[in-house]
Amino acid sequence: MFKNEEMEINLGPQHPSTHGVLRVKLRLDGETITHCRPVIGYLHRGVEKICENQTFFQGQVWTDRMDYCSAVANNLGWAEANEKLFGITVPRRAQYIRTLLNEFNRLASHLIWLATHALDIGAMTVFLYAFREREDILDMNEAFCGSRLTTTAFRIGGLREDLPPGFEKLVKKFLAKFPTCIEEYENLLSENRIWKKRTIGVAKLSAEDAIAMGVTGPVLRAAGVPYDIRKAFPYAAYAEMDFEVPTRTEADTYARYLVRMAEMRQSARIIQQCMDGMPEGPVMAKLPKIMRAEVNEVYHATEAPKGEIGYYLVGEKGSGNPYRFHVRAPGFINLQSLPKMAEGGLIADIVAAIGTLDIVLGEIDR
Amino acid sequence: MPTPTPIQSIVITLIQCLLVVIFVFVVVPLTVFAERKVLGHLQQRLGSTRVASGHVGVTGWMNRGMWKWGRVPVLSYWRGIPGLVADVLKLILKEDILPDKADKFVFFIAPALSMVAAVVVFAAVSFVPGVFFIFPTWFPYVGGLPVSGGIADINVGLLWILGVASVGVYGIVLAGWASNSKYPLLGGLRSAAQMVSYEVPLAISLLAPVVLSASLNFGEMSARMAIGLPFWGLVPQILGFLIYLTCGFAETNRLPFDMPEAENELVAGFHTEYSGMKFGFFYLAEYINMTVVAALASGFFLGGPWLLPFGLQGLVNPFLPAFLSWFGEPHAIFFVVKIIFLLFTYIWVRGTIPRYRYDQVMSVAWKYLIPMALFNLLLAALVRCFAV
Repeated sequence: MFKNEEMEINLGPQHPSTHGVLRVKLRLDGETITHCRPVIGYLHRGVEKICENQTFFQGQVWTDRMDYCSAVANNLGWAEANEKLFGITVPRRAQYIRTLLNEFNRLASHLIWLATHALDIGAMTVFLYAFREREDILDMNEAFCGSRLTTTAFRIGGLREDLPPGFEKLVKKFLAKFPTCIEEYENLLSENRIWKKRTIGVAKLSAEDAIAMGVTGPVLRAAGVPYDIRKAFPYAAYAEMDFEVPTRTEADTYARYLVRMAEMRQSARIIQQCMDGMPEGPVMAKLPKIMRAEVNEVYHATEAPKGEIGYYLVGEKGSGNPYRFHVRAPGFINLQSLPKMAEGGLIADIVAAIGTLDIVLGEIDR
Repeated sequence: MPTPTPIQSIVITLIQCLLVVIFVFVVVPLTVFAERKVLGHLQQRLGSTRVASGHVGVTGWMNRGMWKWGRVPVLSYWRGIPGLVADVLKLILKEDILPDKADKFVFFIAPALSMVAAVVVFAAVSFVPGVFFIFPTWFPYVGGLPVSGGIADINVGLLWILGVASVGVYGIVLAGWASNSKYPLLGGLRSAAQMVSYEVPLAISLLAPVVLSASLNFGEMSARMAIGLPFWGLVPQILGFLIYLTCGFAETNRLPFDMPEAENELVAGFHTEYSGMKFGFFYLAEYINMTVVAALASGFFLGGPWLLPFGLQGLVNPFLPAFLSWFGEPHAIFFVVKIIFLLFTYIWVRGTIPRYRYDQVMSVAWKYLIPMALFNLLLAALVRCFAV
């Protein structure tokens, strides 16, 4: 008499909590997800192919537009991959400034994650608080390079310009208030019963699964694997920095939340060290007017806020643009784990899972 | 006092209805406005606590006149009014979309149903015991006649309130079903389950005041709860009050229980397909429901129209100087102040805590609230047996 039927439903591509144009095909048994497949490609622009037709200098502009929430980290990866390709040594001061801005970017990206993740779970106030602090970071981006979101902050070989006058004061002001801001978020969330109920044990991803799927970043560290490229293969000035890699073993949404909150504290520490130990000197290496590549290939990975972002570049003899360019985007790889996390859970859990993966569709679809 | 003829009493009732409707349509936009402003202050928003025209319109006039004093917080309460105006205009002016595959009649009737159910509850709510005011003798037709503090003095008022309030569920369920779309369907199903579940502890928690006051009439209940018990009955009924408030949040689909319209999961839940004034009706109904829940809470647990707690009304009154004697007497204004405080609580909670998951919402109702409400009923019965 009664028919028991599974309902197929599209979460996205236009949906408030898919963080852009992600589409997830869901099959629901009541409210339980039995089958979940992410469908991507709605924001595909062909970034990699475009970059192959541009000079090495021009390509950087496109890296801003992949993960637009962490443009500086993308810039850093691109610049360093090219420096590796051409064998350029970057001045020490430039390395420090890069590290500094990269950590600020990590803060900005984590703040966006916190804001949207909390909003997805219904904590609306945290959303606006986090955006308030992010605004200060964007102001600093603006002071440094004139743009706020798509920064194109670095150049191959160093920086376009030194830090602007008064930058130190901005940083000092920010660092003075930021710890209290983190406490403010944690007061609202960490011990909140509802927040814990919504996140503890939700969207679990074990270390084995995470490694098998190539998941990196805070999602991997929350499963107990202390893999952070800043420590494992130090780049920029990270070798000289003293910081910890926070890990948790629970591998659930709450653990990822704690890991990212701890990471924000560590980032603030790194920023402080950069400011304290900032060396003097030039910020740009000597470069030829036109860069001509040799036959060569590099893969350079850096720790973006979302995980390992790797740039694979192949040079062609005498050519001014890369022969082949490929990005290992952390969001793209991390998104694979969504079915594993969401299947068997409820609709509300997949929203938490998408939030905790911290995806940006610009980088996934490229 | 002259006794009204039947036709006169019908006219008076119509005037009362008009007053209640005016009350509702004043309180609801003000609540929406307050929601913007309170949330704006809680969340340090940059717009909703500041926006006001500098040049034209009412806010412009106020800004021109008081731009210096406007920086004093108390005097800048008008700031944010354009947001409210835009909100209302948007609701009225937006295109009213009717989905092709919707069940047209039900789609049309659903918002009206939830709106009507929300307003009609006020029929049994008594704002003040006895006479509210007397028409002056020069008033045409009904001059010299008294107007009571509630529209209908029903002796089973509480049953009426609970019965009509549960009709409101149909509005939501039918809206979800008639939209013929998947997200509204899920929203409708959620709301059916949630509201039916929460009605149980809600009703049980309201049974305790019934036991304590030995009446089902709203006015009598609030009078006996306010006068006969310490602190408006809030002390013996603190558990009942909290349960009632929790269920009230769930019944009105407010955070942390806004399952039916959880925007981050179900886009907009049952009203995803609605636009324009049809959506506006759901919106209004939600806020009227909030007012109703607040009115019941303040009537049964917060002393209704009596200001002084602790059963002090009778004790203090003889000692009050004449010009302060209104202080110890029931007034509709005290009732409304309590409603407004509870409405503020709604907004406050919304700004503070996240949303429960659907299954957790249900387990809260069945595993915790119902046993607690039963226990509270037992407590009330014991108080009734031995104390009152």
